[in-house]
Amino acid sequence: MSFHRWMSGCLRPPSVEGMIEVANLSKRYGAKLAVDDVSFTVKPGVVTGFLGPNGAGKSTTMRMIVGLDRPTTGAATVNGKRYAEHRDPLHQVGSLLEAKAVHTGRSAYNHLLALAATHSIPKSRVHEVIEMTGLENVASKRVGGFSLGMGQRLGIAVALLGDPQTLILDEPVNGLDPDGVLWVRHLTRHLAAQGRTVFLSSHLMSEMSVTADHVIILGRGKVLADASMDDLTSRVGTTRVTVRTPSPDLLASAIAGPEVGVTGTPDGALSITGIDAARIGEAAFHAGVLLHELTPVKASLEQAYLELTQDDVEYRSEVAA
Amino acid sequence: MTTTTAPTRRRTTTGRLTAGGVIRSEWIKLRSVRSTLWCYGLIVLLVIGIGVLASSLSSFGGTALTGDAARSTVVSVNTAGLNIAVLIAAVLGSLIITGEYSTGMIRSTFAAVPRRTGAIAAKAVVLAVTTFLATSVGIWVSALITSPILAAKDVEVQLGEPSVFLPLLGGAVFVTMIALLAFGFGIILRSTAGTLATALGLLLVVPIILSILGALTQGADWVTTVSALMPQSAGSKLFGYASTDTATVSTGGGLVLNGWGGFGVLSAWVVAVLALALTLVKRRDA
Repeated sequence: MSFHRWMSGCLRPPSVEGMIEVANLSKRYGAKLAVDDVSFTVKPGVVTGFLGPNGAGKSTTMRMIVGLDRPTTGAATVNGKRYAEHRDPLHQVGSLLEAKAVHTGRSAYNHLLALAATHSIPKSRVHEVIEMTGLENVASKRVGGFSLGMGQRLGIAVALLGDPQTLILDEPVNGLDPDGVLWVRHLTRHLAAQGRTVFLSSHLMSEMSVTADHVIILGRGKVLADASMDDLTSRVGTTRVTVRTPSPDLLASAIAGPEVGVTGTPDGALSITGIDAARIGEAAFHAGVLLHELTPVKASLEQAYLELTQDDVEYRSEVAA
Repeated sequence: MTTTTAPTRRRTTTGRLTAGGVIRSEWIKLRSVRSTLWCYGLIVLLVIGIGVLASSLSSFGGTALTGDAARSTVVSVNTAGLNIAVLIAAVLGSLIITGEYSTGMIRSTFAAVPRRTGAIAAKAVVLAVTTFLATSVGIWVSALITSPILAAKDVEVQLGEPSVFLPLLGGAVFVTMIALLAFGFGIILRSTAGTLATALGLLLVVPIILSILGALTQGADWVTTVSALMPQSAGSKLFGYASTDTATVSTGGGLVLNGWGGFGVLSAWVVAVLALALTLVKRRDA
């Protein structure tokens, strides 16, 4: 059975929208403002990544959305209501906020069974999520002996238990083996494709760049960027063009300009900034320079992220202007 | 696969957060951790074991016991284990909640029951019912086993007498309320070590300190009164045999409680501690 057909059997498509709306959310711990007047919206149908250095306030923000932490000011709603005001919270939001938020003396199966009971979720669903997360062989074992990866799978199983419209996953791939990382990537993309809201944080930039459609970057408790992945990488990062030519000096003089930077790479190619690939090609044509390669290189999410967090610019206001 | 294809999700029949569901959840949690099951087993075995031991070892000088003396003996034999069982109940009440705080389970619990009060209340109900039942089983099985043993020693056994069965019932209430008190401390303190130290300190150490104070002050009234108001001492009135029920009387100044007075004082402890616990649990970050 194909992955997608199998998943479809386990997860029904949602019938309601599940927008996460965060408005002027702040959290103060003593003298430290961990989250500082944060506002954003997470939309259904796409995977929204939540990025930021350690201590940026990602986890605190996520915990405030599901009411585990009390906001100092501001509010967060899911599907129009505060999480605690829903009559069926586990069906509204499935959350993984910490691997192993589990009593170590209880088996994975009983852990799921106990949480399912609160919402009268049938046993069959418990078996379903155990199967979906690949925990069949360890479900009857005590969680105390689980590896970090197994703990993460159990956390994801809990998040899926209520077949929720919205998923909030804090570092879901932490501790997973490559298979598991791929599985989470497929799962989150699949859930978003069904129209669910998927909000996940990660410190793994490369993983985020292949999983998320939209990115919210948090730095020192403030939103630094809130943009689609494409916007972010094209507007923030410096775009480079890789060129291979037998006559690099000729080309360099043909495209010379105040904003143009040309550097050689170790493997003999040129890395050019400040001018796009089309104009390089045009200049080369007119100068009669032979080109073997002309490749625009998009800035990576990593570059964009570093640029943002270094300068501490409010990217969002820049885009809006 | 569009949203219109799924108008009937399983949500219609299941999936609401209900009081019954939360209580069932707490019951599953309670029976799926070994340490709590051990505590219940120990409570039952201790009450029966000590009851049987006490009835077998006691001798009444060959004279037949009737009336007050007989009833008092039946009560004290079958509740002899309670002062030790109550310590286990305090450990149980602590573990049931601090186990969740120390492992992080509490966050899963509060994510599923975000208003929190319901989860705490359900835990309290499950703890109270199971502790009451375990202690009652211990006491009544002990009564069944010790009755023929005492009868063989010429002690008149009348389990149906209110002055006998009320203290036997009260004993189970006492153990249950101490478990709830420790549970309340557990919510407030969140750490297993701190909670056990507080609960066992209040049950074991404070009475010793008070008795030392009493000796030093030659039984000052205020020491007697404070001693009477301690949970252990007030609670012991619930299973003490009383031949003539007197209202709360002051003999020689210090407070003396009867069964109902003891029940009242212990209830006040439980209510006060649980009220503080609930206020804190609603306000704190999990």
